[in-house]
Parts: sequence; structure tokens; C-alpha cells
Amino acid sequence: MTYLFIILYSITLIYFALSERVKKYIWLLVIQGILLFGIVFFSLSKIEILDFIFILTETVLVKSILVPWFLNKIRKHNHLKREHEPSVPVFYSIIVVVISLILSFAISSQLNDDQIYTKYFTAAFASVLFGFYFIIVHKNIFSHVVGYLIIENGIFLFSLAVGSVMPLMVNLAILLDVLMGVLVLGIFINHIGNTFNSIEIDNLSNLKE
Amino acid sequence: MLVLFFIISIILSLSVYFVNNKILKRLFFFLYLCLLTGFNFYIFAHKNQIDSKYFKFDSLGILLYSVLNLLAIIAFYHSYLYFKRQKYTIKQEAGYYAALIMLLTAMVSAYFSQNIAVLWISVETTTLFAAILIFFEKTKEALEAAWKYLFISSVGIALAFIGILFLSITASSNGMTDLSLSHLIKTAHVMNPIWLKMAFLLVLIGFSVKMELFPLYTVSIGAHTVVLPPVNVLLSTALMNVGFVSIFRIYTIIAHTNILPWAKHVLLFVGLISIFLSAIQLLKIKHYKRMLAYSSLEHAGIMAIGLGIGGIGYYAAILHLVLHSLIKAGLFFQIGQIYHYYKSYWIKDTSDYFNLNPIGGLALIVGFISILAIPPSGMFISEFLIFKGLFITHYYYIAVFLLIMLTLIIYSLSNNMLFLLYGQSSKKIKIKPVKSVYYENVSSYILFGLALYLGLNPPPIFIDLIKAAIANLN
Repeated sequence: MTYLFIILYSITLIYFALSERVKKYIWLLVIQGILLFGIVFFSLSKIEILDFIFILTETVLVKSILVPWFLNKIRKHNHLKREHEPSVPVFYSIIVVVISLILSFAISSQLNDDQIYTKYFTAAFASVLFGFYFIIVHKNIFSHVVGYLIIENGIFLFSLAVGSVMPLMVNLAILLDVLMGVLVLGIFINHIGNTFNSIEIDNLSNLKE
Repeated sequence: MLVLFFIISIILSLSVYFVNNKILKRLFFFLYLCLLTGFNFYIFAHKNQIDSKYFKFDSLGILLYSVLNLLAIIAFYHSYLYFKRQKYTIKQEAGYYAALIMLLTAMVSAYFSQNIAVLWISVETTTLFAAILIFFEKTKEALEAAWKYLFISSVGIALAFIGILFLSITASSNGMTDLSLSHLIKTAHVMNPIWLKMAFLLVLIGFSVKMELFPLYTVSIGAHTVVLPPVNVLLSTALMNVGFVSIFRIYTIIAHTNILPWAKHVLLFVGLISIFLSAIQLLKIKHYKRMLAYSSLEHAGIMAIGLGIGGIGYYAAILHLVLHSLIKAGLFFQIGQIYHYYKSYWIKDTSDYFNLNPIGGLALIVGFISILAIPPSGMFISEFLIFKGLFITHYYYIAVFLLIMLTLIIYSLSNNMLFLLYGQSSKKIKIKPVKSVYYENVSSYILFGLALYLGLNPPPIFIDLIKAAIANLN
């Protein structure tokens, strides 16, 4: 079952490369959040109620409800519909995703380390690589935040891959920090939209000598 | 106790933000300074004790906390003077002080964290509040700088988190991942070197944004251009120390494995590139704040080289860190004064400063001699020790390269400084008469004097703290 979710997760990455509509990005983030919940839920050997609540909060509540809702508000505030002239054609993006997936498969099978769970590692590595690619090819800062969230989802999978179980307080603090970061980033997007009337990265080039 | 400290700080920060009375607000931040100072005595009394499970008052933390305490007092004093002079609403002032208190608290948490995950949380928190302070002026430039700082830092720190996860691969015991430093140091020798190398690289890249080191130094240079002088001071001293501490903690783990020589080479490489980039940029610098920011890049590079040499270099790096904090803080306060006279940070808008403000001019001369590590500057000692280390370890080429770069930096900095002090500008510069502000120079003289004293005649307690901080490395 876990494998199914991991494969579905990898497919969402390809969809990210395919779509040009901002609304679709937000939906894909919602789906990724739910898939992450599925991955964790089916890999748990025993369920402890406190951990379960935390995982539910982290994946479903934060990753697929709170953050997408907030992003949607920002989208409406800035009247975002679709990416203007993506600097790289969609076709190449799909090739890049596929290559990054193959690459992470190859690396995971090479690693063959007892201490890590390779099935998560594949999706995690592809997700982080693709997140960076997503940030680089897009020209507006809203998509940059989406790319950052893809990286964050990849990191979530990494923490499963290395089997890292941190104390609940530490986990909560990490979650809160990342959430605060996204909220502040969103507020800055609105400020930039109001000040420059657009959120293209090209506006942000005054800080030179 | 530290948790109590955090709770009181958060309460004070919220009170500063929400109370609508100017006098009460100042009373609250005065209380925060009292808290900081009082806590300084507490940590000296409880040296090397574990506090609140995830924190420990170790020597490096105590040393940097003391520096932070001193700088915070002076930064608050200068913020007070700045707000008295400029017209800001009470609301803006409140937001500034509240964010400043939270930034300082997050930095304290980073200094004492003994758990790598908690360290990561603290560093991420400093990013949030630093971004708020960078955005304070609400100009287009401030917005751009704040966005870039927040976004690049977040991505960088996310990378560092991956590094920490790699580090945690061997750190599991009883089903829980134990990321405490003591546990990691104990199990370091059984870790897989490949994972450890990847972890070190990712952490170094991620936290370089805080230490103002190559590769992610650029966003902090942009941030320095737009913030108020007191924030400049904290960003390039206390926050830089946070970056140093974060990298140093991971380095301490590496020091117990057989990939130490590799890590040393990485640090040497990063340090040399930083100094090279800083020397190139300083040759064509046009803005005083950027000039000091690039000088921070240079000094961060020197510290990285100090760690990269090992042995005597460890001592020199930490000495350099402390002295740089004191001197750079004094210089940023002076740059704030220059702005008061010329209403500009651009080099072309200034000249003949010595005639306008002899006491401030003298402070500038002292500060620049100190930052350039020309004897009798305290920093001369630390840089001398680093060169000594380079020769002992037979890195002759690196030493020669470093000397050439430092010469270039001395040339460009003195060129600009002499123009500011004695130069005659070709165009007419209008200077509004300003009230004499001699007492504002006192803080700079105190900082420069302290740096001189600590460099040339360090008291035994200071030496003991540094030696205890590096004891884990050897």
C-alpha cells in the first residue's frame, strides 16, 4: 500500500511540471499532503494516539488544508491565473522530472544501506531536486514558495527514509517554524504585489551598486 | 531556567508591541535588558550545567552570550537615539522593539542548544525576526532585501535540515532519534563517512547564510544595505556568531571521525573563496554599509580558515570571532553617525568628516586600524596566530595568497576611509548643521577599547573560556 502512495506522489511531481495554472499548483499541494498522510499511516507498525494526532495535524491539517487555503488567499489577492511565459517549455520540464526520478531510483538502488529505507528515499530525493528545478525555472515569487513547499514535502519523506523519530516537542516546534515561515513569505508576496503591481522576480533587482 | 527566560522574553516582547504608552514601552525593553544582564550572571554561576533538557551553558555559549549582552545594551541605546531623531509612529517603534527582543532571544537559544534539531529551530526563528527587521523601513529596497533574505535563508536552512537528517541516520537509540551533541560525539566514530560528509556540506551551505560566508553570503549583504544601524550591528555580529556556532557544533562531531582532514580542506576552500570574493568586491565598493558587510565576509573567511588549520587555528578563530564582533559593532555605530551628518550611505556623498566631527572621526580611525588588524589592534593577534598556524601546517601557498588578498582589502578600505575623513569632494555637499552628538561616540570607544584589551592582554577567565570551548576538538 505504501508503494502505491509513493508512486502517486511521484506522479504529482510530473503534474507539477505539466501544469501552468496557479490554481492547479495549490490543488497538487493538497493532494501531496493527503498522500504523505497515506504514506505515513500505512507504514506505521503500531499506532500511538499522540503520534497519530501529530501526523494528522502535520500532513492533513497543515500541508493540505491550512497552507493551501492561505496560498489561495494570496492568489486571489494578487489576481494570479497562470504563469506568464514560463522560461522553459513544459516539454523540457517533463523530461527533467523524469530524469530526476530515474536518477533518484539509480542512487537509491546504489546506496543499498541498511540504515535507510530506500523506498522513501527515492521519492524524497526526486522531490527535493524537482523543487529546486521548479524555483529556478519560474519567474514569479508565488511559484517560488510552491517550489519551497515541494522541497519541504521532500524533506518530510527524507525524515521517514532515515527513520528519524524526534521527541514530540521538537517536531511541533519544527512544524510551527516552517508554518510561520510560509505565512511570513505569503505576507511578503502580498506586500510585493501591492508595491510593484506584479510579483515577477524581475522587479526585485534594485539592490545593486 | 532557560525556558523561564524564553517565556519572560516573549511576554515582554508582546507587551512592548501591544502597550500603547511610550514610557511603558521603554520600561519594558529596559526590563528585557535587565533580564539579559541578570541571566548573564546566572549562566556564569551555572557553567557546564544542562538546562531544560536541550540546552547547556557551555563555554562557547557563555562567551558569545556575554558579547550579545553587551551589544544588545548598546544597540538598544542607539535605537532609542535613532527613534528620537527620526519621525516614526509609536506603532512602528513598537514593532521594531518587539522583533528585536525576539531576535535576541532566538539567538540566545541557538548559542546554548545542545541538540542539533533545537539548534536548527532557533536558527530558523532568527530568520523570521531578522526578516521583519529588514523590512522595517518599508521601502522598495527593503522589501526586496527582506524577501531575498527570508526566501534564500529558508531554502538554505531547509538544506541544512536534510544534512541534520543524514546526521541522524546512526543516532537512533530505543526507537528515538537522539540528536544531542554528546550522543553524536560519542557515536561519531561508527558513522558512515559518506553520510557524514554529505551532512557537513549541506549544513555548511545552509548555515553560511547566517555566518555571511561563501556560498550564500549575498542575501545578508543586501540585507545590510537597508536596515537601521543598530540592526546592522546585530546581524553582522551576534547573528554571524549564531552561524559560527551552528557550523562549529557539527564540526565538533566531525572532529571525532577520520574525515576530519577532508572537512578541514572544505573549510579552507570556503574561507579562501570568501576572502577572494570580498577583496574583489571591496575594490569597487561605493556604499559604506556594503563595505562593512563585505568586510564581514572577509573575517568570516578568516575564521573558516582558522578552523581549517586546526590546532592553534581553533583558538585564533574563536578569538577572532569575539574581537570582530566588538570592532564591527563599533564601526556600524559610527556609520550610523555619518548618516546623521550626510543623510546618505553612499561614498560619493561624503567627505571631510574629520572637520565636522573630530571625536567621531578619531573613533573611525581607531576602528579602521582595528578592523584591518594593524598593530596594536587586538585582531592582529588572532590573524598572526592564524598565519603562524598556516606556516606550521606547511600551507605556504595559502599564506601567501591570503597575504595578497589582505593587502588588497587594506588598500581599498583605507582608500575609502581616508576619503571620508580628509577628502575634498569635487561637488558641493550640503550639510545641514546637526546638534553635537559627542556622547554617542562613547559606545564605540568602549567597544574598541575592550577589543584592544582582550586582544593584547586577555584576562585569564577569557582564555579559559576559549580553551574550554575548543577542548572538545582535540
